[in-house]
Amino acid sequence: MATAEPPASPASWKELLADRIDPDLGREIDIFETQLELRKQGKIEERLFAETRLRRGAYGQRYDNGQRHDGLVSQSLAFPDVPTKGPHTMWDAPGMQRIKIPLGRLTAAQLETLAEVAEDYSDGILHVTTRQDFQLHFVHIDDTPDLMRRLAAAGITTREACGNTVRNVTACPYVGVCTDESFDVTPYAHALTYFLLGHPDTQDFGRKFKVAFSGCADHACGLVHMHDLGYVARSRTGRDGTLERGFAVYLGGGLGSLPHQAKLVDDFMAEGEALPFAQALARVFARLGEKKNRGRARLKFLVEKLGFDELVRLVREERAKLPADARWTTFLDDLAKHEERPLKPGSTLGIGTFPAGFAAWSATNVRPQRQLGYSVVTITLPLGDLTAAQARALADIARRHCGDTIRTTVDQNIVLRWVPDAEAPAVYEALRDAGLASPGANTITDVTACPGTDTCKLGISSSRGLSSVLSEHLAKRELDPSVRRLQVKASGCFNACGQHHIADIGLLGVARKVGNHRVPHFQIVLGGETTRNAGAYGLAIGAVPSKRIPEAVDRITDLYARSKRPDETFQAFVQRIGKLKVKQLLEDLTVVGSHELESDLYSDWGDPREYTTGDMGVGECAGEVVPFVQFGLAASEREVFEAQMLLDAGQPSAAARRAFGAMLTAAQSLARTQNQDVSDEADVIVAEFRKHFHDTGLFHDPFAGDKFAQSLFRAHEASYDDVAPDVAHRQIEEASLFIDAAHACYTKMDTA
Amino acid sequence: MRAPTRIQVKLFASPATDVPSRAVIPVFHRWIQTHAIDELLIDVTDYGHVPRGPGVLLIGHESDYGYDLGEGRAGLLYTRKRGGSDDLGERIHDATRRALRAAHLLESDGSLAPLRFDTRELLFRFPDRLHAPNDAATFEALRASLGSTCDRIWSGAAHTLSREGDPRAPLTVVARTETAMALDALVRRATG
Repeated sequence: MATAEPPASPASWKELLADRIDPDLGREIDIFETQLELRKQGKIEERLFAETRLRRGAYGQRYDNGQRHDGLVSQSLAFPDVPTKGPHTMWDAPGMQRIKIPLGRLTAAQLETLAEVAEDYSDGILHVTTRQDFQLHFVHIDDTPDLMRRLAAAGITTREACGNTVRNVTACPYVGVCTDESFDVTPYAHALTYFLLGHPDTQDFGRKFKVAFSGCADHACGLVHMHDLGYVARSRTGRDGTLERGFAVYLGGGLGSLPHQAKLVDDFMAEGEALPFAQALARVFARLGEKKNRGRARLKFLVEKLGFDELVRLVREERAKLPADARWTTFLDDLAKHEERPLKPGSTLGIGTFPAGFAAWSATNVRPQRQLGYSVVTITLPLGDLTAAQARALADIARRHCGDTIRTTVDQNIVLRWVPDAEAPAVYEALRDAGLASPGANTITDVTACPGTDTCKLGISSSRGLSSVLSEHLAKRELDPSVRRLQVKASGCFNACGQHHIADIGLLGVARKVGNHRVPHFQIVLGGETTRNAGAYGLAIGAVPSKRIPEAVDRITDLYARSKRPDETFQAFVQRIGKLKVKQLLEDLTVVGSHELESDLYSDWGDPREYTTGDMGVGECAGEVVPFVQFGLAASEREVFEAQMLLDAGQPSAAARRAFGAMLTAAQSLARTQNQDVSDEADVIVAEFRKHFHDTGLFHDPFAGDKFAQSLFRAHEASYDDVAPDVAHRQIEEASLFIDAAHACYTKMDTA
Repeated sequence: MRAPTRIQVKLFASPATDVPSRAVIPVFHRWIQTHAIDELLIDVTDYGHVPRGPGVLLIGHESDYGYDLGEGRAGLLYTRKRGGSDDLGERIHDATRRALRAAHLLESDGSLAPLRFDTRELLFRFPDRLHAPNDAATFEALRASLGSTCDRIWSGAAHTLSREGDPRAPLTVVARTETAMALDALVRRATG
């Protein structure tokens, strides 16, 4: 075909951007590109390559093992025959690229670059994560070096966005403009980010390591208690009368399958100690943390293993031995460097006629700053998603009204800071024109969700599908203001990336077997709290089929609106009426009719395929199943709920004992499929379970290995005489997960 | 000019015949089940919650097919991501042919009635800023290949090509003709 005389194309992004990329960063990306080539030639072992790419943020995605159930049969995806990019991970399978945004802080130009790479290498969508990162999906591994170069030219790195590294350091998005913070933590979080990035002491962890900063102790934004290491800003008057800055420092928190609350190390650590303390902790974690058993490798398990006081002692000892490093404190000389300057003078929103929809939007999405005449505007992103075109529109709005004051949030939204109050209507109109003016920020309709089965290899249920439908459903309802303030968070599996533990209503994806079919469910988790920096974690009260979750949420919220006392929080309300009442309220929703009568329940939201967990890569295992297994599993669920009742009633020892009993019931029901004569003796049940399910690998989770079986063995050895409430809480959580694993095992056996 | 790696072609749904994007989800799943398209198709993803977003995407290895809501107008969006000819003209023509064929498949699916595509307008986009920067020179370099494809599918009917959209976005060219033609006729001409 005829073509005109073409313009000369540049040879590569590497050449085009050579003078715009930091030389060190450029060299790292060149090395990564070489590693890709070496792997293609088979000169790098696949596990090493997998960790290498993870440390550059290049992650796997669902179906990258080359298998997908299409609703009728499992199909092989015939990717070209080239080396894998990790164990069971096809080279050509689309992957996810995570992009670190420290503190969620962005400039307009960076947002435009993100839009460009989303269009050129992904599907045009920028996804904000619960760690203030961005993620691009359906990215080919071959495209990642150029993608990284283009980001690097804009001052963004993907280094250590995944893998066993220090993940994105998060911070409250309101720091510096918040009315009740001690001080702006931005310079400290920034300094720590770049001090630890690539630091030799952070390269040998057994698992990831998460750090968060908060400007205050009471509010939600920093979520410090769910982090490995957390800093809460504190000020005090020193002996000489001057104001001293420091931090309340916490360590050992985490969500995941076994959530732990971080504990206080020091209620006032001087500002100059923040970095060396983190370095010392990293060294101890690298040296003593678990390396083989991934399920026990987070810092929280090292706390459990050594004891909190002993770990803190070791860290302090390590700190004392550290060779001095100027970077610990040099940033303190120039804290003002990170101060944001308003683009325009502050102003007052007068009285007048405002655009249609402005009042409702403003009520939830505009928050006054500490600085008079300015507000923070929240852009509510549905499920954390925005298009490249919307990102460019947002960059324009920022340039016009507030400058480079953009931050992503852990609620998967974006905020613009320093918007002059009088310009809020104009910002609203511009956002509306870009399709970005949805009201309801941080309300019940602003549902947080992890990727779930949409793209995650570990997803069990469709957290995004459910959250999208639930959000639309709730937005149509006339809700009591107290209900509107609640938060809903959904995770597609027990790894809890949707942070369901800390929501008012948490939703945890699980699967249940009904007849010969599987049904997607969500556990309803109550009792969590985002306030007080994620001050409390909820517990599951029961599983409801996914398709009935909107009805379940309606019932719970209606009951709250109807029966709460004046100013009673949702947590206090649930505590007062008791979880049993809530469970009873949902009882009929848990009954699943036959496939023929209720076929809709047997598929997930947004996915008409017959539901399966086979895409998680669950292997086949042998075993004979008898019907009473299901009765046993149901009984174990009842017992674990009773354990919660005991805990709520202030009987932690009895609660822990009952939770262990629930595990025994589940283990016994499985063990009896192999030996009908298994007695009720704990020793016998555990021994039989170990022999037939643990030692054979039958009970192993494809990703968590024998983690859940080990929790039974630990519970069996534990003493239940004087159990602390947090230990009982954890015991219940472990029992709940053990039972879910027993369900999964039973399903595998039956399938086989 | 080296052919852009990524090429997108969009056919807009005729006003009043567009369908909710989520109605397309089961259709795309069926395409995977029945191998309706001779390509490696991987999965379906739903962006129906994103205003003016990608709608519903059928992700493939070499191409994606979407019922797209961009530009505030629903339509079939085909994206060539990798593979295929290196020749610019052939690459553009092949993308157009695949887009037309997919649009025809959607129109033919009874579950999506009354969906119809407007055959008088085609949007071409080149999300490859290295080989197709959004500037006048690139547009001129692409003009002949785009014109050739339009001549072929519109059977020589008069048409216009205009460069449109945000200059920061990928180069976008809209082709228009005033002559309405049946979609299956366009598919035949593109394939023949």
